[in-house]
Amino acid sequence: MTMLAVGGGLAGPVRPALAQQDSTAPSVEEQIRKLDQQVRILKRQHELEQDSLAAAAKDRPKVTADKDGFWVRSGDGNFALHVGGYIQADSRTFLDDTEERLTNSFLLRRVRPLFEGTVFKYFDFRILPDWGGGTAVLQDGYVVAKARPYLKLQAGKFKGPVGLERLQSATDILFIERAFPSAIAPNRDLGFELTGDVADTLVHYDIGIFDGVVDGASLDTDLGDNKDFEGRLYLTPFKRSPVTLLKGLSIGVAGTVGNEHGTQAAPGLPSYRSPGQNSFFSYRSDSIAIAAVADGRRWRISPQAYWHVGPVGLLGEWIRSSQEVSRGATTATIGAKAWQAAGSFTLTGESASYRGVSPRKPVTAKGYGAVELVGRYSELEVDDAAFPTFANPARAARKAKEWAVGLNWYPERRIKIAVNYGQTGFEGGAAGGADRADEKALLTRFQVAF
Amino acid sequence: MPRATPLGARLSLLLALPVAACSAPEAQTAPKSVTLLNVSYDPTRELYQDVNAAFTTYWKSKTGQTVTVQQSHGGSGKQARAVIDGLPADVVTLALAYDIDAIADRGVIAKDWQKRLPNNSAPYTSTIVLLVRKGNPKKIKDWDDLIRPGVSVITPNPKTSGGARWNYLAAWGYALRRWGGDEAKAREFVGKLFHNVPVLDSGARGSTTTFVERGIGDVLIAWENEAILAAKELGQDKFEIVLPSVSILAEPPVAVVDKVVNKHGTRAVAQAYLQFLYSDQGQEISAKHFYRPRNPTVAAKYAAQFPKINLFTIDEVFGGWRKAQATHFGDGGVFDQIYQPGKA
Repeated sequence: MTMLAVGGGLAGPVRPALAQQDSTAPSVEEQIRKLDQQVRILKRQHELEQDSLAAAAKDRPKVTADKDGFWVRSGDGNFALHVGGYIQADSRTFLDDTEERLTNSFLLRRVRPLFEGTVFKYFDFRILPDWGGGTAVLQDGYVVAKARPYLKLQAGKFKGPVGLERLQSATDILFIERAFPSAIAPNRDLGFELTGDVADTLVHYDIGIFDGVVDGASLDTDLGDNKDFEGRLYLTPFKRSPVTLLKGLSIGVAGTVGNEHGTQAAPGLPSYRSPGQNSFFSYRSDSIAIAAVADGRRWRISPQAYWHVGPVGLLGEWIRSSQEVSRGATTATIGAKAWQAAGSFTLTGESASYRGVSPRKPVTAKGYGAVELVGRYSELEVDDAAFPTFANPARAARKAKEWAVGLNWYPERRIKIAVNYGQTGFEGGAAGGADRADEKALLTRFQVAF
Repeated sequence: MPRATPLGARLSLLLALPVAACSAPEAQTAPKSVTLLNVSYDPTRELYQDVNAAFTTYWKSKTGQTVTVQQSHGGSGKQARAVIDGLPADVVTLALAYDIDAIADRGVIAKDWQKRLPNNSAPYTSTIVLLVRKGNPKKIKDWDDLIRPGVSVITPNPKTSGGARWNYLAAWGYALRRWGGDEAKAREFVGKLFHNVPVLDSGARGSTTTFVERGIGDVLIAWENEAILAAKELGQDKFEIVLPSVSILAEPPVAVVDKVVNKHGTRAVAQAYLQFLYSDQGQEISAKHFYRPRNPTVAAKYAAQFPKINLFTIDEVFGGWRKAQATHFGDGGVFDQIYQPGKA
């Protein structure tokens, strides 16, 4: 019992005053129950909100910037944009150039921003301009309608489906400059193509109709009505084989057929360059006499193969072109053939690949990147029928043979520092029927691609 | 373009070959194994777990083919939208015909889908009942009690959940009967009901979780099968079922998704899968999971499990699903007008 001091003395025991109880007020238990319910409701609402946010996040566009480049993708994947590109800063040094016919130089070989993506799930596009060398050229500009993986329609300007090394991205080729077969295979052309992969990419096909380009060239405007049919069949038949040595083998064949009729102003005939990018063959285009012009059927055929196992890669292709040519009243069927055998070995153990090497320990992961040793042999030979009527043997070599070695360092995927040495010998191409002087080219490249 | 030449003709044929080869008819021999995706509404998880196991055994013994049925569950409306947006369902087993109609309207399912199976493609039925806490402390006896102040009602969101739409229409139908067909009174009644809803889950299973596991609310408006499941299995001796004076006959339909089965080559097995729901074995499984079977023999066997309730149909009271959907659940419909969260 509580004792209280009142007025200086102790009072008697005091009963605590009892609060007036309101019979309508909720009981303590009821109030607790209500509070408990409110807390549970708030927690559940928070839980549902988190679920809703997580579900909404899946639908939100995603922006990524990583080793795969800069991408924006819609939540459902039906729209995507990739902004990328590559810059290749090169040097060319020609050794033993006592006559100073060749120019040592630094150059921007390629400056190519890339815009590619997908719209409405079934339609792709690619835009690749090039400002290398201070000129502005549209390299690729095309659209693709994808009905199925095995059936796509591609239209616009893009690489003709012929040369194996030509079809490799410029960022992934083993050497700084492509070998001789790419001097014959068409480069970019305008046209329509059906393309696709069958049986889980065991089989790839391309077949299309194009404006038609001369060997090794690109085209933006066709000067004639004639078109070229181009096609390629490329197989990776042992992709699912348990035999490791066979899995990386791909073989194919490609070809073109069409007609080309040139004029004195636009002869429609090729010229060929060395890997150092110096011209060593062209048809007669005398300003006084009549120039040789393309005048009829043109075809090409190219068997090709790529094989890789572990750090070893081998690329081989052979190509033959043929063109009916006339000069005045004289006509002939003249062609050229070229081939190459190129090999790569990744010293740091990464797998060789047609699509470039990915370092296992890039420098950003405190590694040293990947180092690749490359070597090749390549030849190009022009038919004897070209000489002397259609090509001047004192200026146009009839054969070129090149061997080259190189070292590529990849500090990161698609960042490459490369050094190549290549030596090209010629048959003919100098005054009096002598052989043109060898080209000894030391090439370097610093490439950034993203 | 060059004139057609023999070479051109040969190349044209070469062009046609990959297309012809790739669009050749399905192989005459069925593959050894096949996978189906069943996109279903929220509370059917346990049902289809058992249905799938039984069908797999049945189909293997009948055809030798191994079939794997994958499941997707969620609010019926959300699931329908997912299928429209490309979720590759071979079959849909949704809460209401309107959601399958929505898919059919996009050309993904044939428009006559409902006629392809018996009973308007609804192999089982259900209804809407009330689940309360043990002892029914809030003295819930009928729909009227759900609008009393202090009664907390759990029901999912009619914009996403098929079950929620059945709940809403059951309440509306009750109110029409209560007030002699007065739509304004019904609207007021349902408005007061949703005023007592503290949490709106996206699907029926979510609401069951809210009520049973999170312990929120005094009464759950639920599918009959969900209520029985909760009372018997999820919270033994914790809940009671209150049968309202009147409720709605819910007919969850099923359909083969034509566009997907044509692409996958799974039409035969998908059709067989849905037909299995009508078989004696399928009907038994439905009943065991507290769905009212269509088969009279099986229904009689499980009669004690399914008390008689005074039921009305959506056609009788609302003129069908398309009309009900447009009036009540479309954007700006009655539900959007009466349910505005945060407002008194």
